[in-house]
Amino acid sequence: MSAHNSKGPQGPDGDDPRVTAAEFAMGLLSDAEARAVEARMAEDRALFDEVVAWQEHLADLMLDEVEEVTPSPQLRKRIEARLFRSDAPPVWKQVLPYGLGGAAAALVLWLAVSSGLVTPDEGAIEADLVAELTPTPEGGGLVINAAVDTELGAVQVVRLAGDAPENRVFELWLIAGEAAPVSLGVLDDAADRAVIPLPQDVMAELPGAVLAVSDEPPGGSPTGAPTGSVLAAGPLTPS
Amino acid sequence: MTLQEEVENLIVRVAMGDRVAFARLYDRTSAKLFGVCLRVLDDRAEAEEVLQEVFVTVWNKADSYRINGYSPMTWLITVTRNRAVDRRRALRRPPEPIETADLLPDSTPGPEATAMAQSESRRINECFDELPRARAHLVRRAYLKGDSYADLAEATGINLNTLRTWLRRSLIALRECLSR
Repeated sequence: MSAHNSKGPQGPDGDDPRVTAAEFAMGLLSDAEARAVEARMAEDRALFDEVVAWQEHLADLMLDEVEEVTPSPQLRKRIEARLFRSDAPPVWKQVLPYGLGGAAAALVLWLAVSSGLVTPDEGAIEADLVAELTPTPEGGGLVINAAVDTELGAVQVVRLAGDAPENRVFELWLIAGEAAPVSLGVLDDAADRAVIPLPQDVMAELPGAVLAVSDEPPGGSPTGAPTGSVLAAGPLTPS
Repeated sequence: MTLQEEVENLIVRVAMGDRVAFARLYDRTSAKLFGVCLRVLDDRAEAEEVLQEVFVTVWNKADSYRINGYSPMTWLITVTRNRAVDRRRALRRPPEPIETADLLPDSTPGPEATAMAQSESRRINECFDELPRARAHLVRRAYLKGDSYADLAEATGINLNTLRTWLRRSLIALRECLSR
């Protein structure tokens, strides 16, 4: 369809600027024709004004025509998460809704682990605090169990499901109270379990604190704070 | 403050990175824009995907809105309608059938025109009423559903060149009415 030869061979009126503007506004032109009109609009103020006039009238038609329909309530949060995820809201506000619900499930899973259905490294960890990190909406199904041995000063993490996206790594964070997240280290994507030492000064804060995993560039967050999405999170509860 | 003024204000604040304004703009306009997505796509999941893209675009492009010459609601509706039409075309949905009744000459106003006459009628609707009913219907389909000339030819069985000629004549008649 080449409606824009000057003689309008595809039918009469194809070279009338009012028609061209309307066809452009309504998306009736081919991609190549539309690009040509855009280029002309940059030079031709009358054509530009004609397109704007059509868009205004057509938007009126749409306004009259459509009913208001409320989209699902989560949509705004999804949009804001997509736009603002790298710097705000603070990571501990993002994980709080996920923190408490996972506690009961964590207990069940932990019973499975401790009764031998899933075998941890024998004798490595005597857990007094456990957490099940359940996936956030962006988590891609990542599930991680964590077991803290406060006497040993270490946390064992067992990845039950989920792989890091290509060229990204999982980083584990501790979020105690209102304090900023503290990095506990990057998880090795090749291993599904690891024992990670804990900084001495966080030990007292552990009960009720939240463990979270974010996705980060290789080597971990360059800033010391989470920069990627929080993929899974859960609170530490007594075992 | 009218809705247009409020929306304009909010877009200007969004252009400066104001997230509170963005949330408020969403609250004020999302139901209308979601209606636009649904009108084009007839599919809630697809419509929500498009609405999400629209608001991402609004956040990223709010600073260019002032130079495009549109009133604020027109900008939002145009972005939304065009995104939804792009999605509809990418999905390769066949055009909806057109009822024969919509193409018959009829001197009494169609159901759409009657409904409009009862609500606050805008100039464009008055001008649609001046068109032969079949042609008004085709122009409305092209804008409101994003049907191409080829889609409309397929849906009506009318020869493509004839159909294009009809539509162009209708657009000229509409434009002449609109500028009276």
